[in-house]
Parts: sequence; C-alpha cells; structure tokens
Amino acid sequence: MNSELFEVAGKNLRKQGVRTYLTLIGIVIGIAAIVALLSVGQGLNYAIEKQFESLGANTIFIIPGGQNGELELTDADISRMESVRGIESIVPIYSESAFMEFKGQKVQVSVSAADADKAGIFDDTGYFDIKEGRMLVKSDSSAILIGENIAENFFKTEIELKNKVLINGKSFRVVGILKSGSQTVGGGGPSTAGTVFMSQDAFEKIFASRSPGIIFAKTYSPNETVEAADKIKFDLEKKYGEKSVFVSSADALLEQVNAFLQLITIFLTGIAGISLIVGGVGITNAMIASVLERTKEIGLLKALGANKKEILSLFLIEAAFIGAIGGIIGIIIGYSLANLIAFVGESAGFALYASMTPEITLGALLFSMLVGMISGFYPALRAANLDPITALRYE
Amino acid sequence: MQKHGIIRLENVSKEYDLGEIKIHALSDINLSICNGDFISIMGPSGSGKTTLLDILSTLLRPSKGKVFIEENDTTEMTDEKLSLFRGKKIGTIFQNFNLQVKLTALENVMTPMWIHKVPKNKRIPLATKLLEQVGLGDRLNNKPNQLSGGQMQRVSIARSLAMNPGIIVADEPTGNLDSKSEKQVIDILMNLNKVQGKTIIMVTHEPELGKLAPKRILMRDGKIQEYFGFEKCPKWIKSNETIKESAKK
Repeated sequence: MNSELFEVAGKNLRKQGVRTYLTLIGIVIGIAAIVALLSVGQGLNYAIEKQFESLGANTIFIIPGGQNGELELTDADISRMESVRGIESIVPIYSESAFMEFKGQKVQVSVSAADADKAGIFDDTGYFDIKEGRMLVKSDSSAILIGENIAENFFKTEIELKNKVLINGKSFRVVGILKSGSQTVGGGGPSTAGTVFMSQDAFEKIFASRSPGIIFAKTYSPNETVEAADKIKFDLEKKYGEKSVFVSSADALLEQVNAFLQLITIFLTGIAGISLIVGGVGITNAMIASVLERTKEIGLLKALGANKKEILSLFLIEAAFIGAIGGIIGIIIGYSLANLIAFVGESAGFALYASMTPEITLGALLFSMLVGMISGFYPALRAANLDPITALRYE
Repeated sequence: MQKHGIIRLENVSKEYDLGEIKIHALSDINLSICNGDFISIMGPSGSGKTTLLDILSTLLRPSKGKVFIEENDTTEMTDEKLSLFRGKKIGTIFQNFNLQVKLTALENVMTPMWIHKVPKNKRIPLATKLLEQVGLGDRLNNKPNQLSGGQMQRVSIARSLAMNPGIIVADEPTGNLDSKSEKQVIDILMNLNKVQGKTIIMVTHEPELGKLAPKRILMRDGKIQEYFGFEKCPKWIKSNETIKESAKK
C-alpha cells in the first residue's frame, strides 16, 4: 500500500474542517461513556477485591436468614461454630437501631457491637480507622466509638471526644471518632462514619435481646476455609432448614460479587455502545457526503493513475482516523468523567475508584478505529468503484 | 527523432446500453498514431470525438476492438495495471481543468507524484520547474480561485507533465478560455510537441484551432469521416519495460 495515503487522508480531514469535528462528536460520546463505565466498574471491582483481600483468604462470612425469613442465631450456635475443625476465632457483629441524644437533640442511629478482644480480625482492613481518640477495649462498658459523620453532621453541635451522649436513655462517653470513608464489613451498606460502635457488654445493657447480623469466622489456614464453611453451613441448615443461612468464604463471596459487578458493567457498557453505533452511522453519513462532494476528485485521482485499492484505502484510512481521533478524545473525556464520578461517590461516603488500565485505553482506541473503518467501508467501496469518466463529468 | 508507432486502434467500437436503447458512440475505428504526432480531433457535437479521446487515454474501455499503446494491448490489462500504465504513459488535460480547489498550484502538480511514489525530495523542484515551464513560476502557492482560467489550464498542463509521459491528450483545452489565454495554451502544447517530442492528441470543435495540428481527424456519427496528413508509421516498438513495471505492482 502507498504509505503516503495516511498523510493525504490526514490532509483531507483537515480540509473538511467543521464536518470532521461534527462527525467526531458521535464517536467521542460513545467512547467516553464506555471508558467511564468500564473505568468505574473496574475501580469498584478493585476496591471490593482490596477489602476482601485485607480480610484474608481464611475468612468465612455467616449471614443468618434466607428464604425462610429472618433467623436469630443463639450463643449455643456460636459456640458450636467455634468447635468446628480449623476454626481459629468467631466474631459475631450485633446491630440494632437506637436513639442517640446530645444536648437535648434526639436522632436515630445504627448501633453495632462486637467482642472487643476479637476485633483484631479487623486489623489492617481499614474498617476501624480512628481519626481521633482510641479503639474500644473489653472493659469499656460505657464507652463508644462514633463515625465522623455522626460527630460532625447529625447534631446541631459537633460532638467531640469525651462528650457524653445518651443512647436509648443510657449514658456513654465518646472515646474515639472513626474516619469518614471507613467501610462497613463486607464492603456493602452504609459507611462506619455513620454508625455507633460499642462493646458487646454495653450492647447487652441497652438491648433486651441480641442476635448477630453477620458473623466472621477465621480459620487457622486458608486450606481449611472451604471445609470449615461447608461444615458450619451443614450444621446450621440441619438445625434451621435448608437455605436458612448464607455461608461463604471471602474468596467465594468475592467471586460472586465480582461476577455480578461484571454483569452490570457489561450491561451498562452495552447501553453505552448504542451511542457508539449512532456515532458510526454519523461517520457513514459524513463519508457518503464526502464521496459525493469529492466525486470529481476521485475521478481525477483515477485518471492520474490511482487504482481501486488506493481509493478504497484512502477513504478507509480517513474513516479510521475519525474513529481514532474520536477515540482518543473519548478516552480522555471518559477517564475525566470516571474520576468525577469517583470523586462525587467518595464525597458521599462510597468507596469508588476510577481505574485507568492499558487494556481499557488500548481496547477503546482499537474499538473506535474499528467502528470508524466498518462505518466507512461502504462509502469507501462506493468511491473505489466509481467509473473515472462518470466521476470526472459529475456535476 | 526517429518516428515509430505509439498508439494503434483496431476495429474499436463503443456502445452505451441504456436499457431498451443502445447508443453507438463509436463504430469500427482504425487509427495509427506515431510518436511526436500532433493530432486534432474535430467534428460536431455527438460525433464521438470525446469518446474516442477517452478511449485513447484509456479512461474508457472499448466495447469491441483493441487499443495498443507502445504495442501493449491495454484492453487486456486489469484495472489496476491499466491505472498505473495510464498514470505513467499518458498525461490528461481537461476542458474544465479539474484542479483540486483546496490545493495550491504546486500541490496540484505534485498530486500524480504521490500516487506514483516519486521521492519526496524531488517533488517540489520538479513541480516548480514544470510550473515555470508554463509561465507560472510566480504563482506556485496560489490556489485555483486566485488564478485566471488560462492560468488554471496551464497548471493542468504542468500536472499532465508530472510523470513525463510521452502522450498528452487534451479535451477542448481552450474551450473555457479567452483568445489571449487560448493562444498561450496552444503555444505551450505546440512547444511540447516540437521541442520535447510529446505526442499531442487534442479534441476541439474550433476548425481554426484544429487546423494548427499537422494531422487531423474529422468525425461524424461515431466514425472517422476524414483523415488529414496521416502517413504510415515506419515501425512499431513494444515497450517491454512498461509491462514489467506494471506486473511488479
């Protein structure tokens, strides 16, 4: 192929000015939408993966309740889990809703509790990232940790360390404030920044009954995790019925969450792809107009010695250039958009990241060029098949 | 310069099939042209002179018959081969100039050079020389809308010479020009014929202009009615080199 066709195609696009820019818009929008969605989707995957990784491959989640409605697990159930072979520790997390009172103002909050001695399971996870003060200890029967969001936004007056608050009428002292952006266990639900944490003893003081909302189990080694999870599930389902409880290892859960996220990302990207089809039709349209407008020029090039292949290549390269330029601009806008979404999400307390990977960048660029070439193929073929005499006399 | 045959048409006919109607644009044309000939093709509108020129320039394939250029049968060539052959062997001048409006005079002359991969460093000097040769050395960077009709036609002549072809075909080259520009263009063509030995074939409907050519063809109803000044070409030379070049492509 005549390598100079690339230079000539570039010059031709520049000569067409406004039409080229207008044609680009369709591709830019399509690629920007696809890149933004893929970037946020992959960022979300990465964030979740990181959280699960920090929990470790030897962690098991046990969530009571399932198809048969809610399930209240007892202390006996928890003791039984502790005796399962391979289990190192069991940490039930209790959660209830309560009223919190500060300086005469009453607000409903979510209260969670865990055995402080076993809270080491959450070390390095970032779930309990202390902004001010200290972590709870087992003897803290009247001390609480509160999220930054509660401290700063729930009440007219900001709550500070050592302030006293009432929870369901009982007095507690704030000993620590958790950083905003800390996540709830498992990566879902509201941020810890909007939750009150207390010791298990304190929790028992204000709530008559308690049953764990989620239980974390840790095995001695990752090799024992699957077997231990199966055994716990078997025991609980034997007692409460099939599908009465959800038991999964961190790895298995991560796989499921990722598969679900991937499905959503593919679905949304597919929708964004529709705009790219519209962009492609725009290229076809502009190229047909260009072929009509340049009919005489095509005839002249043929008269001067250009063959069918060269004319076809010239128009295909022009279309591919439109795709590539649109792709590059779309990728830049897409990543900017993804970062904006991540920023807004993070400000609202959700752990969102914009992931920039060579796969997305290169894939989007190649895809946009391919869309350009497919869209430009028919007009290019039309140009290549023009009879030189008819083309030269075209008015 | 030693004369030899350069173009030969054998029983060439051209029909246009318009559904129920068939138009016989050319019927059974036989013609031999020697190198260095200056030929004018004349005749009334619809006589087939432009069709004959299109076939001579290989832009149009005949319905019947053979067209030999330098003893190469162009009717047997593939489209791809023929394009390359035409680009190198035949320069074309159009009545309406067919210049690319967004390109300068220099860029227009360089168009055939990129098609035929002339080295980049040789293009500007060559195109400049050709434009100087047609008296447009001071108009190199002017676009067609900054040139007069005569100047545009001279750019078109310079472009036709870009690949140094032996044959120049011109379709009513002065049809859109005033008398002063007409004279300039004809002088250039005659000069190309006399000094450089180019074979010039020119279609014109103006008898006075046609008479300037030593050899003339008068056409009527798709046939050559009269030949003036024609003689047999002494010999025919086949340009094997051209075939090799085309085949390589």
